[in-house]
Amino acid sequence: MEHILTPKVEEVKLLDRYTAKKPAIGTLYLTATHLIFVETSCNTRKETWMLHHLIATVEKLPLTAMGFPLHISCKNFHVAHFVISSETDCQNVHQSLVRLSQPGKVEELYAFLYNPKQDEDERRNGWGFIDSAMDFKRMGLPNEVWEMTDLNKNYELCSTYHSQLGIPKTASKGTVFGSAKFRSRGRIPTLSYYHKESNAAICRCSQPLSGLSARCVEDEEMLQAISRANPKSTFMYVVDTRPKLNAMANRAAGKGYENEDNYSNIRFQFVGIENIHVMRNSLQKLLEVCAMKSPTMSDYLTGLENSGWLRHIKAVMDAGVFLAKAVAEDKVSVLVHCSDGWDRTAQVCSLASILLDPFYRTIKGLMVLIEKEWIAMGHKFTQRCGHVDGDPKEVSPVFTQFIECLWNLMEQYPCGFEYNEKYLLEIHNHVYSCQFGNFIGNCQREREEMRLYERTFSVWPFLWENRHQYRNPLHKCSLGREVLRPSTLPLNFKFWCGMYNHFDKGMQPKQSILDLLLTITQKKAESEKKMTDLQRQLAVMDGVLADQGSPTGTSPEQTSLSPVSVSHTAENAKPLMNGAAVEEAEIELVSTAGSEKMEPVAIEN
Amino acid sequence: RSDRSTHAAKPPFAMSSDNVAISAEFSPELRVLRDSNKEEPQLLPKESVQDMAKDVTYICPYIGALRGTLTVTNYRLFFKCMDRVSFVLDLPLGVVSRVEKIGGASSRGEVSYGLVCKDIRNLRFAHKQMEDSLIKSIFEILMKFAFPVSNGLTIFAFEYGQVYPENGWKVYDAQAEYKRQGLPNESWRITKVNDHYELCDTYPSTLVVPVNIPDEELKRVAAFRAKGRIPVLSWIHPESQATVIRCSQPMVGVNGKRSKDDEKYLQTIMDANAQSHKLFIFDARPSVNAAANKMKGGGYESEDAYQNAELVFLDIHNIHVMRESLRKLKEVVYPNIEESHWFSNLESTHWLEHIKLILAGALRIADKVESGKTSVVVHCSDGWDRTAQLTSLAMLMLDGHYRTIRGFQVLLEKEWLSFGHRFQLRIGHGDKNHTDADRSPVFLQFIDCVWQMIRQFPAAFEFNEYFLITILDHLYSCLFGTFMCNSEQQRVKEELPKKTVSLWAYINSQLEEFTNPLYVNYSNHVLFPVVSMRHLELWVGYYIRWNPRMRPQEPVHQRYKELLAKRAELQKRVEELQREVTNRSAASSSERAGSPTRSITPVQTFV
Repeated sequence: MEHILTPKVEEVKLLDRYTAKKPAIGTLYLTATHLIFVETSCNTRKETWMLHHLIATVEKLPLTAMGFPLHISCKNFHVAHFVISSETDCQNVHQSLVRLSQPGKVEELYAFLYNPKQDEDERRNGWGFIDSAMDFKRMGLPNEVWEMTDLNKNYELCSTYHSQLGIPKTASKGTVFGSAKFRSRGRIPTLSYYHKESNAAICRCSQPLSGLSARCVEDEEMLQAISRANPKSTFMYVVDTRPKLNAMANRAAGKGYENEDNYSNIRFQFVGIENIHVMRNSLQKLLEVCAMKSPTMSDYLTGLENSGWLRHIKAVMDAGVFLAKAVAEDKVSVLVHCSDGWDRTAQVCSLASILLDPFYRTIKGLMVLIEKEWIAMGHKFTQRCGHVDGDPKEVSPVFTQFIECLWNLMEQYPCGFEYNEKYLLEIHNHVYSCQFGNFIGNCQREREEMRLYERTFSVWPFLWENRHQYRNPLHKCSLGREVLRPSTLPLNFKFWCGMYNHFDKGMQPKQSILDLLLTITQKKAESEKKMTDLQRQLAVMDGVLADQGSPTGTSPEQTSLSPVSVSHTAENAKPLMNGAAVEEAEIELVSTAGSEKMEPVAIEN
Repeated sequence: RSDRSTHAAKPPFAMSSDNVAISAEFSPELRVLRDSNKEEPQLLPKESVQDMAKDVTYICPYIGALRGTLTVTNYRLFFKCMDRVSFVLDLPLGVVSRVEKIGGASSRGEVSYGLVCKDIRNLRFAHKQMEDSLIKSIFEILMKFAFPVSNGLTIFAFEYGQVYPENGWKVYDAQAEYKRQGLPNESWRITKVNDHYELCDTYPSTLVVPVNIPDEELKRVAAFRAKGRIPVLSWIHPESQATVIRCSQPMVGVNGKRSKDDEKYLQTIMDANAQSHKLFIFDARPSVNAAANKMKGGGYESEDAYQNAELVFLDIHNIHVMRESLRKLKEVVYPNIEESHWFSNLESTHWLEHIKLILAGALRIADKVESGKTSVVVHCSDGWDRTAQLTSLAMLMLDGHYRTIRGFQVLLEKEWLSFGHRFQLRIGHGDKNHTDADRSPVFLQFIDCVWQMIRQFPAAFEFNEYFLITILDHLYSCLFGTFMCNSEQQRVKEELPKKTVSLWAYINSQLEEFTNPLYVNYSNHVLFPVVSMRHLELWVGYYIRWNPRMRPQEPVHQRYKELLAKRAELQKRVEELQREVTNRSAASSSERAGSPTRSITPVQTFV
């Protein structure tokens, strides 16, 4: 609290980002964790909350006729433009926010304060809710060629990897440790996804320390072992996700890429995704386009084009498609790396997994995937998201791009995903908000050292509890093991209003199909419940059931009283039972859709 | 109890398992593929084969060269490839805008022909040169039948005799439509002055004008408006009585001519709406163009002459600019799309900018009428292109009736057909003169704008995207009489309702296909779309539909229907059970006083 100089400012104006309509007037509060704006100018109480840690920039703008403007932009793309009448107040709020938005150390993050009123057991169970190791079991590991090893249990092999790693059985301990010495930061080739149907695998690692001519027998053995684990193919792809120029520049620094001559039976390939700095600048340009008040078509389209953002999204998607095709169609294993193997590699591997495996297109599956490919494999969340005051050059929207790729896929496959856009936005929000411990820390070891599992809560059980909000009503399980082959024509990559204009109500489409469908599923669920109730009543009348509260036992007669079997999804097609029905039913929360949103809006000129 | 068990045996809901459905429906090519194995097309009534050629090569920009049989009838071109891939091309000849022989005979003795189409594609064929120069090539036959007007033949619509359950020509009845709007009333009357198209030959016979203006004065007003297209009522707000009025430009000329009659007339229009003491005149053109029209005797209303009127220019460009924009768009999207620079290439066409200006103009009109409760006068130069776009879009925003399938048909019949949008000239039905300066995609732009609105209000329209695409396909097909001729007068003269079939007869015979499953009747709502660039998109489902990489991947409409059907089925079951419970409890109420059934309220019908 010592950073809050003025906890409350009255008569603050909140300007609309795009239109010149009358600003909202209200009171601004600064709490230990949030900035809260309570609108007093309208009849209904409207509140705007901003978590301090979500604030990316706070800027004082030049004095205007209205007062002293304060421009705040958040990492979840919430932008607020306040005008404060007193200079001192503006100065104080600015100073406080600058400090509060950039905690000096991790312990100041919201997750360490947040208490959802759970006891220790619940906290522990919560952290156990998603277990990425289980996912390897689901893929069929260990099997005759792949095994899970705990060679990294003390993080001695690789400090930024998880303790459990999937490696080929034929790779000896010597091979593994030898290979680690030849890979940047010891990030050895390890299993990311095993495709049961083809026996082909996606593995990931960091760049080799090949420099201009260096070789490493163990590393060559390691790749050979991975390649041989898929006996049906005579070769394996090694995909370097960087542009060739960047990879070559790394050679001068003693790093680089695999020489096809030194490794037997590899086919080497660059896919040309730009580095974190290019991505950071690209997003900045995209946000500038997004901030334009009423762009002409020229401004808007050339702005989009010049930002390069959608081109980068396409590049990531193209790479994911390449991997999925190699594994599923050509039945060839792939080893993927970039420089350190924690940014582009994470993007590409997780995207390929989604294309290959419908499990990752489910609500729980996406949690597992993020836990496995991002958290366990050491994507540096603390640095990339800028959770604490640090090197701004380490900040980059790598995870945002992954989520955006996923959204683009969902646009092409409206029935292919169990989750909806809200789920993606919620996850993205939590990655930056630090309300939960999951996305704090740069790697597993750091998280253990911070004792995050004892001091913070996991986001996954929380999301799971609210899963009804995140369900895609169009989802169809019957798609089975189908591999997705999205079109990557440039026109398929669109500006994501739902993400970048999420908080600008005037910019939202007036009617959302998703909200409509969620309403429909809610009504469906209500009807189901009603039906169960009525069936129960009939049963009571018939004297089959005792005239009392909820049913306890099930008798044969009772079962026959549930005539219509309603299958939400192919897998849980069970007859509708009195109690069970309510539990299984998709009761959806519905935001105010329909008539309210259809009200006229001011014309944007 | 046993009754209920029989119910139990039924499957939850039997939905069609035809998953090919919608995605294939949107593509005319695929649709034919399903039901034809023959080399020849399934002929329509009065359709006859004119020529047939084997070993013709269709050079498909996506698949490559395909060898097959080409058939030309008096209605269509039909190409079927019988070897390695089963491929069909089925194209009404009306779609063809030009046929050109490309180069001379190749070394293999093949001649190649290019077909430029009105629906954003070009086709290329090649076949052996005829050894006997007296025998006509199939492409010469094709040219004859593709351009019947230029060759003294009749357009196929006049021959096609298919009988449909409904007479589509009866969809629109001007009197009935005005009656629906509450007209005539104390301020507005229906005049017979144009019964024989003497006041204005491009206007409909039924016109709504202010009560206080006698027919004689109308004639004087007509003298001051281009082509005699006087200001008349298109739509009236049911509550505020604010009106949408359309007309052509005033004949102001370089000397700034004025007309007391015209000024009084507009004043009367303003006075008919007691809610406002202002009148907005929306001139669709850029102000520069409007001023330039003075040189040709036209112009715009000066605010000196028209007191209480405010003139607004909407900056929409003319038919020539639009034609050029579409030409560029076609270059960018057909056949292939460049991997890079998509946005700047799209930008260079300015297509979306034009769409934005049209929608923004319509939005301002609708906003003035709805929020400002002010009457508006809309015109451009002649009042049959941009004016039709603006009034019809504004009416679509203001009046939910036009958002139903039949209402939309009425809107087209009224604002476009009866008010003389010159379809024959703009589309050039059966005319080989493809360079005609009168061609312009004005109607296509309107449909594009409607699609943009559907995207923003997915539940507010009774029709779906396929409905819009079907309208555009038959805009060119020359199968139906609907889009023939330039005015109501011409249609009456040509006896179109007698001699041709209306497109609406066909559409209304299979409404299911054109219905939006998510439609909710929001008839009392006014729709104000967001016209920011961020919310306008290129209509890829139309402009890029020939690209196989753009085919919709999943039949999402089918899923909507499934969801809705499931819910409806559940509701039905609930109602049945409800009835049973009520009946039963009524029968045994004396015995079971504590029965809970009474507290149950009937289930509402949702959505």
